[in-house]
Amino acid sequence: MRVNHPTRAKAVLPEGAPLLEIADVRVSYGGIKALKGISMKVMAGEVVAIIGANGAGKTTTLKMLARLLPVDSGTVRFRGEDVRDVPTEEIVARGMSLVPEGRAIFPNLTVRENLELGAYLHRDKVTMAETMADVVELFPRLGERMVQEGGTLSGGEQQMLAIGRAMMARPELLLLDEPSLGIAPKLAAQIFKAIRTIAKSGVTVVVVEQNTRMALGSSERAYVLRTGEVALEGVSAVLAEDPEIQKAYLGG
Amino acid sequence: MVAVPDNQAAGASRARLLRLGAMALGLLLFIYVARSVGPQKLGETLVTGLTQGAMIALVALGYTMVYGVLKLINFAHSEVFMMGAYVGVFVLGAIGIANPLLSFVCTIVVAIIGSSLLGITVERIAYRPLRGRGRGALVRVTPLVTALGVSVLLQNAAQLFFSARYRSYPQLITGSMDIPGVGPVGKSRVIILVVAVLVMIGLELIVKKTWFGKAMRALSSNEEAARLMGVRTSWVISSTFALGSSLAAVGAVLFCIDQSSVYPTMGTAIGTRAFVAAVLGGIGSIPGAMLGGLLLGVLGELVKLSSYSGSIDAPVFVVLIAVLLVRPAGLLGSNRAEKV
Amino acid sequence: MMPASGKGVASVGKKAREPSKRGWAFAAAALVVVVVLELGLERMIPDSSIRQLLMLAACNVLVALSLNVINGMAGQFSIGHAGFVGLGAYTSAVVSAHLHEAMGGGEVTFAKSFVVVPIALLASAVVAGTFGYLVGLPSLRLKGDYLAIVTLGFAEIFRLLIATAQLGEKETIGEAAAKIGKDGVVGPFFHMLQVGITSLGGQNGYAGPKNQGLPLYAGPFWVFGLALVLGVLAYRLKFSGWGRALRALREDEIAAAAVGVDPTRYKVRSFVIAAVGAGIAGGLMAMNRDGTPTVQPDNYNFQASFDAITMVILGGSGSVTGAAIGGVLITFTVKAIEAVQSTRVVQDLKSSVPWLDLNALRMMLYAAVLIALMIWRPEGLLGERELFQKQKLRPLKLPKPSPDHPKPDEPDRAPAAAANEPAKPVVAAADEPAKSDGDEPEKGAPP
Repeated sequence: MRVNHPTRAKAVLPEGAPLLEIADVRVSYGGIKALKGISMKVMAGEVVAIIGANGAGKTTTLKMLARLLPVDSGTVRFRGEDVRDVPTEEIVARGMSLVPEGRAIFPNLTVRENLELGAYLHRDKVTMAETMADVVELFPRLGERMVQEGGTLSGGEQQMLAIGRAMMARPELLLLDEPSLGIAPKLAAQIFKAIRTIAKSGVTVVVVEQNTRMALGSSERAYVLRTGEVALEGVSAVLAEDPEIQKAYLGG
Repeated sequence: MVAVPDNQAAGASRARLLRLGAMALGLLLFIYVARSVGPQKLGETLVTGLTQGAMIALVALGYTMVYGVLKLINFAHSEVFMMGAYVGVFVLGAIGIANPLLSFVCTIVVAIIGSSLLGITVERIAYRPLRGRGRGALVRVTPLVTALGVSVLLQNAAQLFFSARYRSYPQLITGSMDIPGVGPVGKSRVIILVVAVLVMIGLELIVKKTWFGKAMRALSSNEEAARLMGVRTSWVISSTFALGSSLAAVGAVLFCIDQSSVYPTMGTAIGTRAFVAAVLGGIGSIPGAMLGGLLLGVLGELVKLSSYSGSIDAPVFVVLIAVLLVRPAGLLGSNRAEKV
Repeated sequence: MMPASGKGVASVGKKAREPSKRGWAFAAAALVVVVVLELGLERMIPDSSIRQLLMLAACNVLVALSLNVINGMAGQFSIGHAGFVGLGAYTSAVVSAHLHEAMGGGEVTFAKSFVVVPIALLASAVVAGTFGYLVGLPSLRLKGDYLAIVTLGFAEIFRLLIATAQLGEKETIGEAAAKIGKDGVVGPFFHMLQVGITSLGGQNGYAGPKNQGLPLYAGPFWVFGLALVLGVLAYRLKFSGWGRALRALREDEIAAAAVGVDPTRYKVRSFVIAAVGAGIAGGLMAMNRDGTPTVQPDNYNFQASFDAITMVILGGSGSVTGAAIGGVLITFTVKAIEAVQSTRVVQDLKSSVPWLDLNALRMMLYAAVLIALMIWRPEGLLGERELFQKQKLRPLKLPKPSPDHPKPDEPDRAPAAAANEPAKPVVAAADEPAKSDGDEPEKGAPP
């Protein structure tokens, strides 16, 4: 997979500065404090996992980043720019793509149309064809299903489509929400392999995952959330050996 | 939030069986009618019905597209249609009919502009403030009441400013032409049918081929995902209103060329039928609206052949409710589980 | 009485059976007042048009109260309420006129009204309730705005069928019925229906079997008395367990279903209650002592439905006293405009400004107020509050608080409930049939 060439002129990120930096972010909805001041740093090129139990705030974190949930307080900086008040529609133009939980593909559009919509902000025909070829190389199954409606795909294929669609926007930062949820283990493994390929091509990846073993196995660093707060953070391989983590999340 | 695909094999085959059954029933009914009225009369009825249906379909498309992107029954659409007809009357009155073709084109263009502006304004003023209001006790009722309010407001405004009197268009197109197998058909009918079909083909191209069309369908399908792709919702919604209103304007001008008069409650009269067509075909489905419109047009003409003498709307509503009982999502509506 | 008067009404009845002393005093006072009004209203208010206005207001309050059950409390949207009112009006008109004939005609007396009015209103309630069930069941099972569509259709069919029935055939319904079986079944049956509908007088309206005018049995005793009784019932309904369940459904259908509130059943029942109320209101309108002795299809057109919606929204969706206030307010403005229309000044004005249509102006004003309310105060004047509220609205206990965005499949939804168990909440799981796939291609994959 080719390294992306962003179309929008962006400020050059200074050496050593994090690609994404959130500090003391609080989010609440319906009177419930979902995030109680979390801070994270993601460097360019990293693969970072966010793990934790149900309701710990994992999905909320990603939704907050994609501006689908309003931030009560705290700062969110992407490429050094404050993106706290950027609307969702513009986030993707800044280079951040979210693959939402539950895939959220367009069920009555064909696979090709789904992918094309991923490139909604990059409509140049030549670039689009190139990116689509890359995506098909990544997920050959999508190539076989181009003219099918998205809703007719299996769950695993839909997940591939959702990731492929996000990649069509040539993001610098890919946010993945529960990519293995409800998917047969064999396909889940395939999807995680594809995520590693994407990471190798230079895209920074933040992945939220319930399957802690898989998440720690394919990430470099990880954050453990507990009831809206960062409970632990560190190198994934080290965390995987942590007895507490093993007890709480790895079933042993 | 995930749409459930229409995947049950058993359900699919049952649906197919139902569809086949309905088709067979329709065919039998049609043969019965055809035999009892004779081919000459039948051809005439069909042409009239299709003409009527094509115009209804144009109006129905506006309901269906707005429902697609906003999940809102835009009751005001029938009034946009009515206003389009008034704009047409005024333009024709101003420029005269010395050159019928030029007058026709001018009327349509100005009516399209007027209706689009009205449609966009209605959306901006009445519907946009309600959006993104999260949820609450009356989250479903509020937009419907608003839409109904806009409809009543516009209709009574027309009553007040244009008076309740019926106005008719000057005869733009006269004469008739022979169509083999059918016999003489009024030229205006032929033009209406041709224009309506061309407009629908154009719409199909817009929806399938342009980025706006794709964005519109994406928005109908999953708003949040569309925004994640960078689709600007408010722009797409405004454009959808403009497009739907334009179609209504074309429909309005065609209706008037077909000797209908223009009056303040015409929106209720014809808009209601168009709305039924949209629901019948499957609200939110563009081909559904076209099919529903054509079906209703033909149905209306067939009813006129029977001994039933009352308003066409009663049997039309009966058919609608009957179809909804069997296929809740309409004839071509997706039977995917709806968003809660 | 109805299938509708299930749990909710029953529990109201139970409470009503052990009323406080104040309750008894109130009931006795109310009884005295309506009897006095019955006997003395003519003397108190000699102007019959004002009496008619007051009674019409009471009927409209009933219309608003009943619509409030479905549009306000249940959060559904019916836009054909006038259809049920009309159904009730025609039923009561037919029943009361025939009963009157059967009792030998003659004077309309207060004593006889104790036979005629209950029977006629019961018939109205049954007919309207039955149609409410038939309309509500298929449309409330579906998600989306099907109730709006179907009620609109129903009201129009009802009105058009009566209004466009052709007069001229001089066949009685009995003669038509006798033909069933003799000349086949289906054809004569529809013929009988047609004869029956035709006998309702078409566009000109129904004025009794011999067209001599309807017997107007419903005096102030019945009109005000029933408005009071049904108002109290509606109030108790709102604060009952039933009302709480409806509110829970309105706020969060999935969560309510999770605690055992069956959405379809509750919605259909509340719709039937609304239809029954509308039927009774219609019956009272038809038999209104100071009203016109005919019922006409155009009194139950779309504008009437819209007026009913305005009454509910203006007063406050879900508020019983609000609906009552809305009903009175709308009735008076309609009449006030009619009165103003006929004044000298307006007549003069109209001759110089021929396009001035006050009714159109009124409707424009209503519509504008309604839109403005929806934008700035969607809950109406009172919101859900009551004018003399003592009880607090208790919420139904839901398994968990509902956040801003109703995403059923969002695991982060209830951080409070999140211990370390990895299982998804029940509510979420129930909504995700698509996700539990074993990764089989779901439609014919290309070979």
